Amino acid sequence: MSFFIDENTKLIVQGITGREGTFHTEQMLEYGTKVVAGVTPGKGGGEVLGVPVFNTVMEAMEETDANATLLFVPPKFMYKAAYEAIISGIPLVITIAEGVPVHEMLKLHHLAKEKGCRLIGPNSFGVISPGKAKAGFMAHRIFMPGNVGIMSRSATNCYETVFLLKQKGIGQSTVVGVGGDMVPGSTFADILPFFENDPDTKIIVLIGEIGGSEEELAAAYIKEHITKPVVALIAGKNVPNDTSMGHAGAIVSPDGEGSAEKKEAELRNSGVHIAEGTEDLVEILADLL
Amino acid sequence: MKLLEYKAHEIFEKYDLPCRSGNVVGSMEELTKLRGKMKYPLVLKAQVQTGGRGKAGGIQFASGDSELLKKGKAMFEMKIKDLPVKYIFLPEMIELKKEMYLSFTLDRKHKKPVMIFSPEGGVEINEIAGKHPDKIAKVLLGPLEPLNDFVIQYAMDKTGLEQNYRSDFKDICRKLYNIFIDMDCMLAEINPLIVDDNNKLMALDGKIDIDDNSLFRHDDIREFRDDIEENKLIPEARKFNLLYIPINNEGNIAVISNGSGMIMSSIDLITKRGMTVTCALDLGGGATADRITESLRIAASNPLVDTIFMNIFGGITRCDEIARGVENGIGLFADTKLVIRLEGTNKEKGLEIIAGVRGSIKIAEGLKNGVEILAQELKV
Repeated sequence: MSFFIDENTKLIVQGITGREGTFHTEQMLEYGTKVVAGVTPGKGGGEVLGVPVFNTVMEAMEETDANATLLFVPPKFMYKAAYEAIISGIPLVITIAEGVPVHEMLKLHHLAKEKGCRLIGPNSFGVISPGKAKAGFMAHRIFMPGNVGIMSRSATNCYETVFLLKQKGIGQSTVVGVGGDMVPGSTFADILPFFENDPDTKIIVLIGEIGGSEEELAAAYIKEHITKPVVALIAGKNVPNDTSMGHAGAIVSPDGEGSAEKKEAELRNSGVHIAEGTEDLVEILADLL
Repeated sequence: MKLLEYKAHEIFEKYDLPCRSGNVVGSMEELTKLRGKMKYPLVLKAQVQTGGRGKAGGIQFASGDSELLKKGKAMFEMKIKDLPVKYIFLPEMIELKKEMYLSFTLDRKHKKPVMIFSPEGGVEINEIAGKHPDKIAKVLLGPLEPLNDFVIQYAMDKTGLEQNYRSDFKDICRKLYNIFIDMDCMLAEINPLIVDDNNKLMALDGKIDIDDNSLFRHDDIREFRDDIEENKLIPEARKFNLLYIPINNEGNIAVISNGSGMIMSSIDLITKRGMTVTCALDLGGGATADRITESLRIAASNPLVDTIFMNIFGGITRCDEIARGVENGIGLFADTKLVIRLEGTNKEKGLEIIAGVRGSIKIAEGLKNGVEILAQELKV
């Protein structure tokens, strides 16, 4: 069993006619993902790689029974496209774009909750259930099926971890890109219960970074509700305060809020194993398994 | 993107939000032209993107032309926390009866805008919260709906704001909130919000921080950003869609990577091993040969950098493409040592190309090994 996506997921790609959209649709089809429709306003009636293209998400859902959508849409159009998807009633929306205006994400975050839509991203590599399906742009060759569940703000730190895990023969149940922006559609705490209830997941890995308070909120949730072992890595502990990194969310305020020290302390206090780096993380996982 | 004070004032004026008027000058020539035209006394405020300028001498007073020119000259020659003073803001001096605090900002935990008001202002908000916890109203707002009157009412009642200031206060709240929304602000702050000797409220100093992700729809702010950017490598990198991040002036290592997470992990391990990163370049997605070459050139052009650590985890990115970027750029960073960690599609082909390149290039297997090689190269 997987959550969010599996071999039965019927996926829409919004922005399928763009260069990135087409390239990654091909990659996803090759992996076995059921991409059933594309949506690009004005390009309805066409076809990309044998996938029918529609003008609207609503029509794509009616014609194909799609139950998830992946947005390869530039950041300035992301709000409009995600809004359409959420209002159309699709239960899962995954957004890739990096650099979506924060005010727009505030709206989308709450709108998705209100409408019962699971919104993942933005600035996310997507979601993969190895061996079953992927919805995103991750380099799927390094993933393999197994029982480690991973959620990560960073794509590269996640790849690095998965790559090292593969060398040890350790696979993953589901891997979720939470995304590196300041306001994610779904937070670590939002995704934790899915891993807890997923029989395929034995251990949960949380790859966080400096800035914000999602790791602290996850720590509080773990303390109350999570029975499975959790291993966490917080990147950026040696980045000076008030330095803006490429991830808009990864910034420690001048007064120290969002620091790695605080996040690690609260996670430790909830019984979470703390790793110093990706290689250390993989060793802790190997020991626990 | 944090705006300088004078720019924040320009926005206040555009929104008809009562604030102190004043000239801004960008050179001694401009300042000299103001001779005989100013009303004294006035304040000279150095425009730098850092706090604590008052203590550093960045706020002065002048009672006449000669004092203005003398102090202005000194201020233009001054550096505040390493930042040169490119602009001086010259507002009139105001008699004030009271200092208050008002801001709209983002509550990341709740993912909502928040209004913060205190009738005790003039110092940092954390200090106000420490000294007068009962005199602060913090109200979470619905994401981007109009500012409701009851929110303002609650803030005034909760903090016991005097009746005779309330009408002005409501007006300023609405205008500041409009700025917050229209300008995609991370922070729109008035501190201090003062009461002058006519019992009118006015913004004496303001801070506006605009979401970088929204700059595509704020052309004037984007131009302003490049104008005040002191580190020329930042706009230079931006031309190639690269993100240049200054880290530490004490360091001598540049990290180049294809993602923010990997950059942070690299900095963490390098620092732990007793070395210091001075800057980083984020390639983001799509690391093409051209952008690799440019990133190496830009990193090497920083005089502090003597070693570059290029940590690429490709996945879909092709390593031979990266290697060609290195090959093309080798003449541009000949004096700089280069340690490369490369992982992804066509890795063997990439390593082959790099093996054929002259110069001091070391290949690492994995991040940990890369940091070890850096330590050997730098004899740490």
